[in-house]
Amino acid sequence: MRKAVLYINQFFAGIGGEEKADLTPEIREGVMGPGLALQNELEDIEITHTVICGDNFLGTHEEEAVKKILGFLDELEMDIFFAGPAFQAGRYGFACGTICKAVKEKYHIPVLTSMNEENPGAEMFRKEFPVFIGGRSAAKMREDTKKMANYANRLMRGEPLSWAEQEGYFGQGIRRQIWLDPPVSAAKRGVDMLLKKMASEPYKTELEIPPKELVEIAEALKDLKSARIAVITTGGIVPVDNPDRIQSASATKWGAYDISSMDRLEAGEYKTIHAGFDPAAADADPNVIVPLDALRELEREGVFNTLYSHFFSTVGTGTTQAEAQRMGKEILNELIRNQVGGVLLVAT
Amino acid sequence: MNLTIGRFTVRDVIFGPETSFDDGVISINKEEALAFLREDDHILDIDIEIARPGEDIRIVPVKEAAEPRVRMDGRPLFPGVTGDVTPCGEGSLHATSGVSVLGVGKHWGSFGDGLIDMNGGGAKYSPFSALINICLVIDSDEPDRREQQKKNTAIRMAVHRFAEYIGSVLIEHTPETIENYELAPILDRTQAEMELPPVVLVMQAQSQMEESGYNDLIYGWDMNRYVPTFVHPNEILDGCLISGSFMPSSSKWSTYDIQNFPLIKELYAEHGKTLNFLGVILSNLNVSLTQKERSATFVAQIAKSLGAKGAIVTEEGYGNPDADYIRCIEVLEAAGIHTVGVSNECTGRDGRSQPLVVMSEAANALVSTGDVSQLIELPAAKKVIGELDALGRDGLSGGWADDEILGPSVREDGSIIMENNAMFCGDAIAGHSTKTMKEY
Repeated sequence: MRKAVLYINQFFAGIGGEEKADLTPEIREGVMGPGLALQNELEDIEITHTVICGDNFLGTHEEEAVKKILGFLDELEMDIFFAGPAFQAGRYGFACGTICKAVKEKYHIPVLTSMNEENPGAEMFRKEFPVFIGGRSAAKMREDTKKMANYANRLMRGEPLSWAEQEGYFGQGIRRQIWLDPPVSAAKRGVDMLLKKMASEPYKTELEIPPKELVEIAEALKDLKSARIAVITTGGIVPVDNPDRIQSASATKWGAYDISSMDRLEAGEYKTIHAGFDPAAADADPNVIVPLDALRELEREGVFNTLYSHFFSTVGTGTTQAEAQRMGKEILNELIRNQVGGVLLVAT
Repeated sequence: MNLTIGRFTVRDVIFGPETSFDDGVISINKEEALAFLREDDHILDIDIEIARPGEDIRIVPVKEAAEPRVRMDGRPLFPGVTGDVTPCGEGSLHATSGVSVLGVGKHWGSFGDGLIDMNGGGAKYSPFSALINICLVIDSDEPDRREQQKKNTAIRMAVHRFAEYIGSVLIEHTPETIENYELAPILDRTQAEMELPPVVLVMQAQSQMEESGYNDLIYGWDMNRYVPTFVHPNEILDGCLISGSFMPSSSKWSTYDIQNFPLIKELYAEHGKTLNFLGVILSNLNVSLTQKERSATFVAQIAKSLGAKGAIVTEEGYGNPDADYIRCIEVLEAAGIHTVGVSNECTGRDGRSQPLVVMSEAANALVSTGDVSQLIELPAAKKVIGELDALGRDGLSGGWADDEILGPSVREDGSIIMENNAMFCGDAIAGHSTKTMKEY
């Protein structure tokens, strides 16, 4: 038998409505309210305790409430954590999401909750853990708890789980491959989709393109002549022994290499480890990717003030957006710490 | 143009006293076959091994695959590659069903090489696990053979030559079934055909390398030095185009895939019923933006001039080629042509990264054939054809020497952990993939 804990608010615990919304967190043994419906659908999972907190209290004393609740949970054996369902109740949704997030981060166990799509908590927490798509009101209690229980039962047994739409939770933004059952070839799906599109009939794309996430272009440097400039490349130029072991594709590492005493990068001392293009030209003259020779000339001419002492390098091919973003932020910290005013970014 | 492919189901491939075909079994005289393959002086060492579906065999590094066939009029199977440049697309072929010839490195792998498991949990990741694979396990003397990025010329050419050599056993036999591919000239189609929505297939073949020797070839011509052209689908099915040696494995079209291009077959199946299949616009995937724009311009113009109302675009690749793929969809949509894209995605270890390098809201009808970055862990196989270490050692995309979290791709006990990226033609972008992508 696996053990679970359920979080609910003062209203669903039967303590009271708005007038009791300042209730401080408490924990009770066993199940009550929505826990009865949930327990009814759970197989081999027992809800041992119920945590209760007033919605206002959690909203206004978030840190204190979370700390106190985690304090209760520290004492318990717990394999999975549930919260809600919160339906359309905004403050309750926020509370369910906040507690689930804290429990997941502290105990690394699965956390599940349920909210209506109109509940702001749904958008706030859907990327963090499965937030099941719930009804608008408690009239949907049985259906909503059943969806969570159905998922939890299979999760705890280690059985295969389906994707978000099939399981009934909001997509977490994690895309994975699956095999269609029964199998339908991509060729057939493509031709069917085209026939529908041409006939102006409804069809479903397999990759929904989200609206563009554009990064704002930084303001121009007001005074280039007094600026310190750094050079960054995703073209994989490194010292020939690749001291940071940066990968040739799908990179997760970057390096910074001292160029303060050099006027150019010499072939044989530097090379590219990038596996996504023909390396011949870059190996013969690494300055074609990290243009140290040209930058020194501009520095001497006074076009800008100084070139930063190191250049930064990683590999762009196959590198995911998430890794690129992380590496970019890490490099940015160094740039800011060293008062770099502008960057020349050389892609390949 | 009218092309017929006479099919022979192959039950088994064995070694025997003579190279022949009898009652569904291909027999190979190994000594004669090896002597034929050794005619290429660049082959230092070669062996032939057979891998059958269900056998506990792992094959790596796999570089190329082709289907054994013979052209009944004696013309070369791959014009401009295995013989002179002669036209493709008309006449008759005899072809095996269920067999491929694989080019496997005896030692050295490269960026675009892949892995095939013939049984167990790994088998579902490559369509080639369902075929009887005649593996040419080769070491060559080519100067780049220990480079990560290599042309694999000797090994790939051996595959093309041997597909023809094996195919020739079918000459004297009567096929079990005949596939017939016929399209009348566009202006000579029947009234019924003309009333159906006219559709083109846009194939973007791999051509990212500036130096010759790595890219797909059309009639022996490098697809990098090429602008899009209107091609008859029969030419594609009949060997005018061969695969190259660059694109990471799960995203590439092997020559076998090109000879059997499922999107072409599907459009043929619907021709005259629900659509009017105009033909193929064969484009490429060059790296510079000007070249991408130029190719997209050609594709849109040809599609418009042909009067296409619908188009399917498919790219042999992921990453940088996504720019060509999306741009091509954009220009076709802008020309008022309803367009569907077929390709794979790369969502990263956590599955949350942008699935294509370039995205556009114009690409509103996409088919997804798999996930480059899916992690796959598999137990050891009893037998390895090739060299297992190549997966981690030689820079195959999808394999690694070491990783702080995951450890090495190839473990001491022979078990492996890798990205789907290195599964041989695993995302079956040519259209045979039964995978899709779902959000979790």
